[in-house]
Amino acid sequence: MHKIALIFGHNDYTFEIEKNIKSHYKKIYIFNLDGQSVSKDSNGYEIEAFDLSEDWDELRDSVNIDECEAFCILEDMSKNIFLTLSLRETFKNLKIVALSQDKESTDKLILAGASKILPTTQTTANIIVEMLKKPMITEVLHNILYEKSNVKIAQIIVKNAQYFDGLFASDINWSKDYNITLLSVIDENGDTEFIYSAKAKHQQIKNGYQFVVVGFERDIIEFEKLIGGADE
Amino acid sequence: MLKSLLLDAAYKINTSKNYTKTKHFFYNLLENSNYKYKKVFDFFMIALIFSSVFILIREVKSHVNDELLFYNNYVVSVIFLIEYLLRFWISGSITEVIIKQSEHDVMFGAEFNLSLALRDIFYQKIRYIISVKAIIDLLAILPFFHELRLLRLFILFRVFKLFRYAKSIQVFTSVVAAKKFEFLTLFIFASIVVFVSSVLIYVMEANNPASPINTLFEAVYWSVVTISTVGYGDITPITEAGRVVAIFVIIAGIAVFSFTTSLIVTAFTEKLDEIKDTKLIDDIAKKREFYLICGYENISKEVAKKLVQNSEVIILEEDEQKAIQAKKDGFFALHYDPGSIESYRKLRINIETQVKAILCLSHSDVENVYTALTVRSFNKDVFILSILKAKANRNKLLFAGVNELLYEKELVGMIAKEFVGKPVAFEAIHALRSNYNGIDMQEIIINERIIESFKAVADLECHKHRIILLGIYKKNKRNFYFNPTYDTSLEVGDYLLLIGNMQFIKEFTDNLHKGK
Repeated sequence: MHKIALIFGHNDYTFEIEKNIKSHYKKIYIFNLDGQSVSKDSNGYEIEAFDLSEDWDELRDSVNIDECEAFCILEDMSKNIFLTLSLRETFKNLKIVALSQDKESTDKLILAGASKILPTTQTTANIIVEMLKKPMITEVLHNILYEKSNVKIAQIIVKNAQYFDGLFASDINWSKDYNITLLSVIDENGDTEFIYSAKAKHQQIKNGYQFVVVGFERDIIEFEKLIGGADE
Repeated sequence: MLKSLLLDAAYKINTSKNYTKTKHFFYNLLENSNYKYKKVFDFFMIALIFSSVFILIREVKSHVNDELLFYNNYVVSVIFLIEYLLRFWISGSITEVIIKQSEHDVMFGAEFNLSLALRDIFYQKIRYIISVKAIIDLLAILPFFHELRLLRLFILFRVFKLFRYAKSIQVFTSVVAAKKFEFLTLFIFASIVVFVSSVLIYVMEANNPASPINTLFEAVYWSVVTISTVGYGDITPITEAGRVVAIFVIIAGIAVFSFTTSLIVTAFTEKLDEIKDTKLIDDIAKKREFYLICGYENISKEVAKKLVQNSEVIILEEDEQKAIQAKKDGFFALHYDPGSIESYRKLRINIETQVKAILCLSHSDVENVYTALTVRSFNKDVFILSILKAKANRNKLLFAGVNELLYEKELVGMIAKEFVGKPVAFEAIHALRSNYNGIDMQEIIINERIIESFKAVADLECHKHRIILLGIYKKNKRNFYFNPTYDTSLEVGDYLLLIGNMQFIKEFTDNLHKGK
């Protein structure tokens, strides 16, 4: 687990992101562009000021960058791209999650060195269309993914492959035998395969593979005990 | 006694389902251009008119057999008479006038005034009878009643009946009517020129034995032919004074001709937007079901792009530039305010039957609230989805009647959580959602036909079909049953939530509908 999250930008997105990620980080720093350093905001965070001409020496001195993940969430896309570029130029290995409001900015952010993109327009549009076309499945997946239901999603690393005794993922009746649904298998190269895809059908389960499973918490824990351990 | 009987009859007729249905049917058939059978009816009437006129033309120089004459004088005329009477019937409601007058009198504590009601009915019907279209209709029937030679000319009025059925003629008439003052001015000017020049040419030419203009009628004929720039040349002035008059009439003729042309062009240009709008409204009426997007922003573009792949989408945008942009992007966009009831009325959008869902995607919560309230003011049931820009406005949008709200910032926060918490699982779900490698998620509703062959989950044999049954969604209970056991019973109205290869899901679905 990374210890520190650096959030660049103090706006409505900051509040929502901070609320959702705080359980994953030991410390969160929030930076406000061209603003005044504020001692504490309404959530108790110290807000520090930064500007785009920053050479990041101060940041390097105050935190261990290797333990950090950065969130670039400035609403002005040109400034957000510049910030991402500036961070990437200084910190080659830093994981940067950047906010994008359109396809054009997404392409530029990737070029600027963002590790992950939060595409606001695209994501919202996708969800709207899914809600209209497949309302049930969207609601169910949304609840599973964002932990609003007692059915959970988990990623489990296979450490005890011999348990499956050379079986293929598609041969096992997961729902009947383990009361879980195995959605995908991620091989050692990180390739995601749906369990009934042609490739997964011919892949024996090996140690180091990751399973993406959906199920009740107790069943997932039981299953995890059988095959190895959870990623989280 | 008579009043009471009339009133009872009016209420009885007015509340009779059959009567209302029949009247509505004939109204649609005769007047509603969006009614699917109206075109068929119009074509039938046009065919009757053409056949009637053809017989008349043939009759001028050849013998027409008795059957054709019978067809022309009686069959066609009777059909036209029926049409005339039906139009007379639907031109207003006698029963409604009686009921309205009675309720009005009751409200003011007075006795039912039958004479006032009859007066209103008389005005209502006479207004129809003296309308130009009704007069033409009546004249087109006249040969049926009188077979006098002179009255046969009235058959020509049947040609005028085409005005009713040809939309382009109606458009042209409305364009000309819009400039009636200008046309009247032009007509008066032309009449004065014709009158003055006729008198002058008669005075100059009539006493000259060599001149072909000997009567005032010939002078008027010459003036009209000249001013209209037709100039047959059969009558020409021969005196010098007469030719001077001719020069002035020719110049006036050019002015009249140019003025007429420019008037028609201007009238058409001014009416162009209206004509285009009428065409758009007709196009909307033809659409069976569509999504209505209110406001054109980046998100609207993305949503519309995805929805148009297998559905119809209409965009309403108040800002003209944005509406133009939406059209340039290839969407069916209209420059109308989605927050105004007038827009829906003008566009004749039937929310109940035509609109699948309304999407309020403007970047202003105020506009989205306004749109939702507008729609809710005349439709309580249509599904409304809106985006939320400021968290503080959530309750306002819900209060305005929005069914689903999407707060973009909250969504971003949740995605960020998944990114840092379960990146692999998130990618897997994302891959499923984006149909990665042909994998799809589908929901299939269980109907009576399916339930006959598939009574429990075990009967579905999902594993054999290589698809995942994620669970069953009971819509009425809004409950999701994850991984149901094999003995779980299926019920009509249940949704099966499936994940699998698109082809396999299709085969599975076909199998369900075919039965065992």
